[in-house]
Amino acid sequence: MTPDPLNRLVAQLAKLPGIGEKTAQRLAFHILRAPGEYAQELSQAIREVKEKVHLCARCFSLTDSELCGFCRDNRRDERTLCVVETFADLMALERTREFKGRYHVLHGVLSPLDGVGPEQLRIKELLTRLGDGHVEEIILATNPDVEGEATALYLTRLLKPMGIRVSRIAQGLPMGGDLEYADQATLAKALSARREL
Amino acid sequence: MERFVDEALVLSTVDYGESDRLVTLLTREHGKLTAFAAGARKSKRRFAGALEPYMRLRVQLVETRGSTVRLDSADIVAGYYGAREDLALIARALYAVELCRELTRDHEPHLELFELLEAYLGKLDAKEAGPTSLLAFELSALAQAGLMPRFDSCSLCGGPPGERPRFDQAHGGAVCEPCGFRARDAVAVPAELLSGLRALQEGQRTPLPAELRARARGVLNVFISHHLGRRLKSVDFMAQVGLD
Repeated sequence: MTPDPLNRLVAQLAKLPGIGEKTAQRLAFHILRAPGEYAQELSQAIREVKEKVHLCARCFSLTDSELCGFCRDNRRDERTLCVVETFADLMALERTREFKGRYHVLHGVLSPLDGVGPEQLRIKELLTRLGDGHVEEIILATNPDVEGEATALYLTRLLKPMGIRVSRIAQGLPMGGDLEYADQATLAKALSARREL
Repeated sequence: MERFVDEALVLSTVDYGESDRLVTLLTREHGKLTAFAAGARKSKRRFAGALEPYMRLRVQLVETRGSTVRLDSADIVAGYYGAREDLALIARALYAVELCRELTRDHEPHLELFELLEAYLGKLDAKEAGPTSLLAFELSALAQAGLMPRFDSCSLCGGPPGERPRFDQAHGGAVCEPCGFRARDAVAVPAELLSGLRALQEGQRTPLPAELRARARGVLNVFISHHLGRRLKSVDFMAQVGLD
């Protein structure tokens, strides 16, 4: 008996990740009760994100212009390049405020069991990008799982002969962590990757 | 619903819903099982680092009404981390687990295959398994699954394969020249390829030369695709990254 437009909105909202039927209903009622401008701004924001956001022509992160903010920023160190799997990983690294170099987003990892090979990733574009000779070090920041390791090893095989320094992000215990509660895999990795003081 | 403990090798994982994961396990006593790991992607503690391909685990499982089981806990028995330090070792390990996944059926115990895979992963971890070892593993796994290709005699007449043998996946192996007209899809193969593969089947571990390995890979790919009804994905990956 509920009006069709409301049903349609609930159905669309329920398709979002993490949103069930009840939450979708709550959100729909919130939009219904909110001032008219809010609904207009929301719909415009959704439309614009689809129309205007695309991949950066250089690093393949997200942007609404030809080059993203990271690539346009002249203060960033172009001698260091951090390779990540996804844009979400880039944002996580950026939140640390530790890295001042540039990025390259692969948009996935090598996944033999899923049939994802080098051709499906932005690896060719990475190699083309290195042609200008500005990059001196590449930090491989893929996830510490089998696929992430495979991708890092594959990239190392391609990059080392080019005379570029290749490094891998460290793996082990989290800051402020507790050995007693660390999982086996992380603790084993922390032991094997120990460093001399 | 019965709860049981078993040893398992992780064959593959697939994300399910928002935070869960479906894990395909080859268990020592219960064969291949698909286990539902609730919250596996969200919880950093419960299954952390354990639900990855070719991990050897001690798992606590609970039977459910359907064909899947519920994974309650997983302790790492062996992580085979040494086999993660080289791309070729990763590729071989993933090929081995994919082959085992495709050769087995759910809930059918396969102790020999479990032990074979466990031993092979141990060799990869110790970096004692070169490219020929993968061919040897495949032949042993096929034999365990009842799909052993025949290299010592003609699959049609039982006679010797001769100097100009062929290989026919549909008839299960070597075909001699006189029988060749009865096996239309058969392809000519060098006699030394058949003898090399036969030696591997018999347990010899002499490394095959690269050219012969490439021919063997082609023959086994065709044989496995024919019997499984599809090509293994990790084979294409190995070809793309130039590994065997």
